Amino acid sequence: MQDKKLENTIMGKIKTGQVKLKSKYVFIAEKLGLGTAFTFSVLLSVLFFNLILFYLKETDNLKYLSFGKFGILAFLESFPYLLVVSFIVFIGLSGYLITRSDVSYKKPFGYLAVGLVSFIIVFGIISTYFNIGQSIERQARTGFAPANMFLKPLTDMRDNGVAGVVFEQTDDYLVIQTPHGLRNIETEGIENLPEINKGDFILAVGDRNGFDFKVNQIKIVDKENMGAINRGIDFKFDKNLDDKNIKNLPSNMMFFNKEDKECIKKCFEEKVNPRNCFKECHK
Amino acid sequence: MDQLKDEQIVESILNDDKELYREVIRRYENKLSRYLSKFSNNKDDIEDILQIVFIKAYKNLYGFDINKKFSSWIYRIAHNEGINHLKKQKNVKIALDDLEYKLIDEKVDIKKEIDQGFLKKDIEGVMSSMDNKYKEPLVLFFFENMSYEEISDVLRIPKNTVGTLIMRGKSQIKEKLIEISKKHAR
Repeated sequence: MQDKKLENTIMGKIKTGQVKLKSKYVFIAEKLGLGTAFTFSVLLSVLFFNLILFYLKETDNLKYLSFGKFGILAFLESFPYLLVVSFIVFIGLSGYLITRSDVSYKKPFGYLAVGLVSFIIVFGIISTYFNIGQSIERQARTGFAPANMFLKPLTDMRDNGVAGVVFEQTDDYLVIQTPHGLRNIETEGIENLPEINKGDFILAVGDRNGFDFKVNQIKIVDKENMGAINRGIDFKFDKNLDDKNIKNLPSNMMFFNKEDKECIKKCFEEKVNPRNCFKECHK
Repeated sequence: MDQLKDEQIVESILNDDKELYREVIRRYENKLSRYLSKFSNNKDDIEDILQIVFIKAYKNLYGFDINKKFSSWIYRIAHNEGINHLKKQKNVKIALDDLEYKLIDEKVDIKKEIDQGFLKKDIEGVMSSMDNKYKEPLVLFFFENMSYEEISDVLRIPKNTVGTLIMRGKSQIKEKLIEISKKHAR
């Protein structure tokens, strides 16, 4: 009797239209949506993995660890946290979406997870041959906001480390070209200072003070291992330092020698317009 | 009508013969009601959940893959609703009827280990206190007489895992009953 009651209640709701079949298109859309979301999250995981590899290989980040405990701060400061967090988020999302799809039907999640992670790692490595990282790096340097956000540690000036090509060298300081312009590197009092020549690529740890950098430890590194820093330097100097742009650059981004410096200093003291000072002193 | 397979009935319903859904309800009402009784002791609650299950199943009929087993699909819906109910109402005790009680006694093979027969409430207590991960496949295996393949369909876990969980579940029941029998003996 009770059974009939339930049967009649449900059939009554169906007949009166209170309960309706969901359209088949809802299910098709659901499957398509799930498939698309899964594909995108896997592609983004591959992209972020690729960018992490690119960043670690082409920038100064990992190289700071060669200074031992002195390089830890510089390493932590230049670490691409956002890339790593995004990679973890998207790989987690891919894992979640795969459990919601038919692909995972009755399959052990452990195997699926291993398969998914392997796929992302393999394709992440393969995609490094397509210079995706370099193209995103270029966009970051030209100010494209999303690229700039993810590669911020690459474009930001570091407080505890610096890398660049020696442009000028004396006993007490170096002037190096960096992706942020020319920087003064104070080497005074450093023990075991290696023989550094103009054109050497140096990596140093220490403390930043504006555009100056007080070195604790310094070493000459292979230019080839600093692809992104080199490109940053080329971008800063080759493209920007032409006749049209030179007057817009701040003093510490310009090429200047000791006499120029003194001239600029004197000119400033005379309260002359700084732009005219640069024009007059840098001839 | 009886000769028609569930999947054929579903196909006909989708081809606008809505009245045939009555047959689905007739076929599964008792089975699902018994299954849901493992999630709730309250008859009214079971009836409410059952109604939700049949309505959800009807609404989502286009989501059912005709190439798969309908029984597993509708059990899956019932299972999910049962779990939702358990989340709302904690400490639900499993109630066994006499037949089910004997079934556990036989299938777990307790008597070989101990001479003492168990009270129904002992077995109910042991089943209720078990981790859901073991309880769910055990209920489907013992009381719904489902094969590992069908349980695997309902719980969406690999067949091998079903086997492992049932084996571990059985030995857990056995261990707990042995403990109880020792307590009784004291």
